[in-house]
Amino acid sequence: MNGAKNRKLLFVLGPVTGLAMFAGAVIIATFLTNREYREPYRAPVATADASPRVEGLVAEEADAEATARAKPYVEAEYRTFPVVGSRVAIWSVAQLHLLFAAFVLAVPLFAFIIEVIGYKTGDLRYDRLAHEFTKLLSVSFSLTATFGAFLTFMLIILYPKFTNYLMSVFSPTFLPYVLLFFFEAAFLYTYYYGWGKFHPLVHLGLGLGLNIVGTAIMLIANAWLTFMMSPNGVSDTGAVISTWDAVYNFTWMPINVHRIIANVAFGGSIAAAYAAFKFLQATTDEERAHYDWMGYIGNFIAIIAFLPLPFAGYYLASEIYAYSQTLGLTMMGGAFSWLFIIQAVLIGNLFLGANYYLWLGMGRVEGGQPIQKFIKYLLIAITLCFMVWATPRSIIATVSELRAMGGSAHPILGFFGVMSAKNTAVNILILTTFMSFLLYRRTGKVATVSWAKLGHTVQLGIFAAVAVFVIFLGVYGYFVEASVRIGLSVPQVGSVLFAMVSITFIDIFLFRGAKAGEVRWGRIPAISQYVLIFIAVTFTWLMGLMGYVRSGLRQHWHVYGVIRDTSADAFTPTLGFATQVVSVTVLMFFLLIGFVFWITSLHDRPEHVTAAKKVALPGADMVLEGAHLSRAEPRAAE
Amino acid sequence: MTIPLVPRIGGLVLATTFFYSYVGQMVPQNEVTPPQETVIRADLTTEDMVTVGREIMDGKGLCFTCHTIGRTGALRFPDLAGVAGRAAERVPGLNDVEYFAQTMYDPNAFIVPGFNPGMPVINRAPIGLTDQEILCVMAYLQSLGGTPTVTLQTAHRYYTPPAAPGAAPAPGAPPDQNAKPGEALPLTATPAQKAPAAPAPPAVPGNAPATGTVPR
Repeated sequence: MNGAKNRKLLFVLGPVTGLAMFAGAVIIATFLTNREYREPYRAPVATADASPRVEGLVAEEADAEATARAKPYVEAEYRTFPVVGSRVAIWSVAQLHLLFAAFVLAVPLFAFIIEVIGYKTGDLRYDRLAHEFTKLLSVSFSLTATFGAFLTFMLIILYPKFTNYLMSVFSPTFLPYVLLFFFEAAFLYTYYYGWGKFHPLVHLGLGLGLNIVGTAIMLIANAWLTFMMSPNGVSDTGAVISTWDAVYNFTWMPINVHRIIANVAFGGSIAAAYAAFKFLQATTDEERAHYDWMGYIGNFIAIIAFLPLPFAGYYLASEIYAYSQTLGLTMMGGAFSWLFIIQAVLIGNLFLGANYYLWLGMGRVEGGQPIQKFIKYLLIAITLCFMVWATPRSIIATVSELRAMGGSAHPILGFFGVMSAKNTAVNILILTTFMSFLLYRRTGKVATVSWAKLGHTVQLGIFAAVAVFVIFLGVYGYFVEASVRIGLSVPQVGSVLFAMVSITFIDIFLFRGAKAGEVRWGRIPAISQYVLIFIAVTFTWLMGLMGYVRSGLRQHWHVYGVIRDTSADAFTPTLGFATQVVSVTVLMFFLLIGFVFWITSLHDRPEHVTAAKKVALPGADMVLEGAHLSRAEPRAAE
Repeated sequence: MTIPLVPRIGGLVLATTFFYSYVGQMVPQNEVTPPQETVIRADLTTEDMVTVGREIMDGKGLCFTCHTIGRTGALRFPDLAGVAGRAAERVPGLNDVEYFAQTMYDPNAFIVPGFNPGMPVINRAPIGLTDQEILCVMAYLQSLGGTPTVTLQTAHRYYTPPAAPGAAPAPGAPPDQNAKPGEALPLTATPAQKAPAAPAPPAVPGNAPATGTVPR
């Protein structure tokens, strides 16, 4: 009876509240209008006595009106955003949009793969994990769309002429973009809300559709931004010759490849940070075990995607050089060269963090101790590579120090500042991290195949041979001409990729049917979870920094070589300023992603139940909470 | 006292971000402004042109992003020390002025042995030096190991200067430029002022034209 009364009360309360709010708005508006300053009443000019003052006022009004009417329409080229200026405003909004978009594109990609694994193996844990990743999508998708709309309006308001030009070049792409966006929303919400409601294959089909549509959206958006950097398909004056050539410009495909990989790495790291947050909040061993596993998978995805990323970076850089050596040299040898020292610090930290997490994780595997003795050698290799990579070619020094060095390059350390050394360092860094993964994979396992000894020897032989080959090419690069040296990075990268593929291939067969120690999920020091959060922040910051260099590379051009930036913001700011903007954007992103985590965690909260429900649900597991009751939600089957 | 979880995570995020900002403050801080438009006066002497040429190479021309003067060892682009001495002998049939002109208007026509193509077309966007600015650059290059001879009236196969007042117009030159000694020439030459256009550079990897449809 009481329940029915409450429902009736709620039914009435909604409209009543709405009416009360409307009445309140009217009262406030009336109050404010009454308090508004009003001119004292003056008799109309025609009826007023003509006096010099009145005539003057009339003439003034007529002049003002005539001036206003005669004013020609002038199309605005730029408008100014208050306080921070137009560039910083666009920069922050675009970066936030890109960060959320990257997350929204990446999560379905690996959620889909995990769901496929769950379907193939029949292990429900994978299905639950994929669903948990997908939970993060719903709110993030809304935020992506909000920032996308915000960015579009900001471009139209602040850079109308340039935006108009881009629209004239890419107008055929806008309608497909909107349609795809609509399809993405349809796929995403059906995929999320339809979890467990369809046949698994139908659900997997929805996931596949979501990924295809999401990737297509990214490809279109990438065409717009890469055109700004390496325009193609337009005449010297900017007139469109071919829209397809404008889309398929020099940097379009490299950016597509680079972004897909980077998005997965970034998405994995953010999902791992979510798992870390939940792990630290967990109160039971069961929860800790689940979120430890989720964090491990998220980080695994992030690092596996991160390992080939430098190679995708090479591809992008080589296409930038192929398009314009000036652009390439501005990036690597000009205004932005020091940015890559900051990048080295970030990537070095990512490698250190990822390896540290793996080494901590070895402790949770039974029989993992013998492997841990190799860690110190890996740590030494990583630290040395990090130091070489972060060594600048020229060093900031006083005049006397420069004299003592005989130039801006240090007589010994200067050798580590050139590309020969850096290419070698990053390749060894990747190879070492790959070995960390391999060691983690075989922690607690004993190979039982008859050729186990031979397999280990071949693996070690490949690893040693590739390491020596990479170092040899690095040293050789100092003694050859530039045209030869540039080509040496290709065999370096190729040999590292060969090592990764061949060693993994052998490992799969080597440990088939191996004796394995038990993995005690959840038994990992809490600091490992803070490492996951650190990795996520570093990834985000790195994306912000690299977004800046990609866009800033054009310097005083909106569209490189075609549309010149003539605004007050045409200069390229200092790296210090750029890093401050990146930092503020990253903090804003983490505030918002914290909000996403909070909303998502509401899903797992105990249901809020009134006393009325207790009566309606006798026998339910109730806990008294003040005037209300809370019912523990049954946990999903493991 | 145990610090609650959210402030702990917030502290970690703040500290990490602050650290990377700090690293950003530790590197050299250069603000790069767009190149200033230089006004080339019609009465510049060759000596003045050397000075102006050096300024252009340092600024708008972006030459020293790639080239060096007096550096040896592993180089990505040719060092310019003593280039005046080498210029007249690089390509048979081209004197130093014609060779310098070719390197800037049609840079892929000849690549210095041991180096890769990479020089952009200097009179087109994004660098876009004017013909007069390029003459000043030539004057500076001639001063590197030689004696500058270039004037604003020097002609080469990519550019014919406007005729002096009262003089008979040169073949192919515009009828009257109204240029007087001491008067500034416009920085960007109008199409009428330009000599017959240089042949478009081949679209090869390493030096794609800035605009147009580029075959991949």
